[in-house]
Amino acid sequence: MIQNVWLIPALPLAAFFINGLLGRRWLHRWTGVIASAAVGLSALLAIGVFLEVQGGGHESTTVTLYEWIGVGDFHINVAALVDPLSSVMLLVVTVVSFLIFVYSNAYMEHDHGFYRFFTWLSLFVFAMLILVMADNYLLMFVGWEGVGLCSYLLIGFWFERPEPYVAAKKAFVMNRIGDWGYTIGMITTFLVFGSMQFTEVFEHVDIATEANLTLICLAFFIGASGKSAQLPLHSWLPDAMEGPTPVSALIHAATMVTAGVYLVARSMPLFEAAGPSLAVVGAVGAVTAIFAATIALVQFDIKRVMAYSTVSQLGYMFLALGVGAPVAAIFHLATHAFFKALLFLGSGSVIHGLGGEQDMRKMGGLRRKLPVTYWTMLVAGGALAALPPLAGFWSKDEIVAAAFLGGYPVLWAIGILTAVLTAFYVTRAMWLTFHGEPRDHHLYDHAHESPAVMTLPLVALAVGTAVLGIAIGFPPEAGFIHHFLGPVFEHEGAAEHAPEAATILALAAVSVAAGVLGILIGLSMYVRHRPDPAAVSRATGPFYRLLVNKYFIDELYDRRIVEALRAAFGAMWAFDIHIIDGLANRFGWLAAVGGSGLRRAQTGIVGNYALTIVAGLLVILVAYGGYAAGVFTR
Amino acid sequence: MAVPLGAFIAVSAVLFFIGTAGVLVRRNAVVILMSVELMLNATNLALVAFSRRFASIDERGSVFVVFIFVVAAAEVAVGLAIILSAYRNRPTVDVDEIRQMKG
Amino acid sequence: MDILGAAFFALLTIGTIGAGVGVVLANRITTSALLMAFTFLNVAGMFVLLGAETVAMFQVLIYVGAITVLILYGVMFTPQSPRPYGLFFQTQKYWAALFVVPIAIFVALVAFEFRDSGAASGSGGDLVPLATSIFGDFAFPFEVASVLLLAAMVGAIVLVKRDEE
Repeated sequence: MIQNVWLIPALPLAAFFINGLLGRRWLHRWTGVIASAAVGLSALLAIGVFLEVQGGGHESTTVTLYEWIGVGDFHINVAALVDPLSSVMLLVVTVVSFLIFVYSNAYMEHDHGFYRFFTWLSLFVFAMLILVMADNYLLMFVGWEGVGLCSYLLIGFWFERPEPYVAAKKAFVMNRIGDWGYTIGMITTFLVFGSMQFTEVFEHVDIATEANLTLICLAFFIGASGKSAQLPLHSWLPDAMEGPTPVSALIHAATMVTAGVYLVARSMPLFEAAGPSLAVVGAVGAVTAIFAATIALVQFDIKRVMAYSTVSQLGYMFLALGVGAPVAAIFHLATHAFFKALLFLGSGSVIHGLGGEQDMRKMGGLRRKLPVTYWTMLVAGGALAALPPLAGFWSKDEIVAAAFLGGYPVLWAIGILTAVLTAFYVTRAMWLTFHGEPRDHHLYDHAHESPAVMTLPLVALAVGTAVLGIAIGFPPEAGFIHHFLGPVFEHEGAAEHAPEAATILALAAVSVAAGVLGILIGLSMYVRHRPDPAAVSRATGPFYRLLVNKYFIDELYDRRIVEALRAAFGAMWAFDIHIIDGLANRFGWLAAVGGSGLRRAQTGIVGNYALTIVAGLLVILVAYGGYAAGVFTR
Repeated sequence: MAVPLGAFIAVSAVLFFIGTAGVLVRRNAVVILMSVELMLNATNLALVAFSRRFASIDERGSVFVVFIFVVAAAEVAVGLAIILSAYRNRPTVDVDEIRQMKG
Repeated sequence: MDILGAAFFALLTIGTIGAGVGVVLANRITTSALLMAFTFLNVAGMFVLLGAETVAMFQVLIYVGAITVLILYGVMFTPQSPRPYGLFFQTQKYWAALFVVPIAIFVALVAFEFRDSGAASGSGGDLVPLATSIFGDFAFPFEVASVLLLAAMVGAIVLVKRDEE
């Protein structure tokens, strides 16, 4: 099975071609079926690969397809690195994608761009799979760019309205800034190590100076920030909610945005050897986590709440990487994929049931009308708030515990505080949407539960969310996933002193308490209006406005960066028009003037022409005479 | 005292000069053609003079002269044909008035 | 009897140069044409003086015969009203003078340079060597020359043809 690992991305690619070429005219609704079937088969193959890796002693295999580039010293193969880390990623990507594909068949049913949706989505899955399977940085970059492209295409899916394509442009540009970082990291890697292949680079980490390594790691981290929406390249993610909800679920929650985390996790040998870079990763992750959580507290669009929540949870993953717990980061990546996808799909179900309404201020009391959606989202919300025994608890707890045990109390405190905020805003979102009295009776009356094609994936994801944590993460530090992924990140004495059970329990208790505290505050404010949310927002006045306007970061970027760029572009345009075009025009003018000047020699009078001949004769005579007389010497 | 070669060359040169002046100065196209014939004769004279002076070495100058006869005859015929055509267009053979090729 | 040769040469020279000047400066065009014929005749005489009788014969046949007749035909078919003397020279006469004067200087130089060379006329006639060369070494150019004449003839006819309606 491992040898056939290339089938896994090949199937979605085939679906892309078939849907793209035949979808509009002939396949119509069948595009959804074809795409879903392709991804479903890939998921089965991924399970097979996973089992084989697990059964084969957690070794890493390289499956080479062909040599892509061979120029001088520069060799890049199209090859897949199949090891525990990539097999986990393969599994997560394909399984979650499959469920979302199935869901989309019903969600996008009435859209006239149905075939186009599944075409791009299939392409996306292909690119993402390339990304996680690649065995070298360049091939990974191909997938990296591919997912960026598909993100742009899918955010701007409803391009007839201006907001989606503006958001798509913004996403692409910010991604691009990250890509610049990735490129610098990639090229520096080649210059320092002579290769871009993971195994080769990691084996020879010691030949590089710490300065070089720090440069490489920071450059890669810029790339990761762009892709995973960390500060300061985060603001594209909330705007990306202009895309259809399945897109938000798949790309901006479960898969593409995790590519940055995967990149850093994969490059851990480099990061660990480059002292300050891990600290930067951890700090940025922690700050992003709490920053985004504060904004999510006051958003009214249900998808925006989830978007900021995603940014915040990604911050957690980077925090985990920064404190030296990559297994915890990947664990959280997997659980987050499930419960965040569920949250998004559930939101989509609500939006679908309300005929397109996304503002929570108009919702309320929907649990009676959309029961399945309600219960599944409740499970997901609980996981997000890190309530045991749901999946989110195990992974998030492990992260904050690692921060504490690794000797980073400040990061641990930030993590705990963010957990309180997270629990609060998810409770708020749940309450505003599903509980209380309906605020818009017209919407409420027409609300309906979604069809089975949509609710079944919700249920499947809910089951996953519920059991995944325990299944693979228990007991803490010694569960299945630790044994599975451990060897990937193991090198020197990573077998540090195992913390005592008491410490672990104490830390877990604090995490749970934080979550419960957040929920209690939320319930108190929204059920009993103590304190009343409206009063609170009035009382905190300017601070509240700051949060609602997302700290005015977009405005800051617009004024400082975009305006400055526009001015620069204006100058360049002027240069192009006046100097470059001017130069070309001058040459033309010169030719014209020269031509009309020389034209005066054509007098049309034959005598003049004869005179010219005689003048030439004179020149010849002079030359000959000069030679003969010795005046000119040959 | 036989006539020296130089004398023949001098005559040839002066005749050539006269022909050139005629080409450049006269207005009538037929007269210009006649002046061209003068130039050709001048060259013929020079060629034959040299050829006969060095006849023991190389007689080929005279051969060249024969060919010049041929070409001159052809040229006069065609030249006159052209003048006649132009005359038919506008009844003038004044070269200063035929300037449609200006520019 | 070289005095005779020199005298003939002087006579022929005066004839050639004088007639040449007359061609260029004559007022009536027919005068120019006839003086041109006279120039040709004198040049033929010079050929005889040089001992190139065959060439002289060709000169008389072709130049004095054919070409003069052609020129006279041309004169006949292009009648022009008599013109004032001011329209005699082209408008570019001053420029022409500017270029022609240096050539005159050259001519003078050349003329004086050959002052001391040896006798011009060689021994024997020129018919045999001429015939041997033309029909021997230069047979091909000879044939090409006939083709050239044919082309010129055709070309001349085509040029003067009237378009028949």
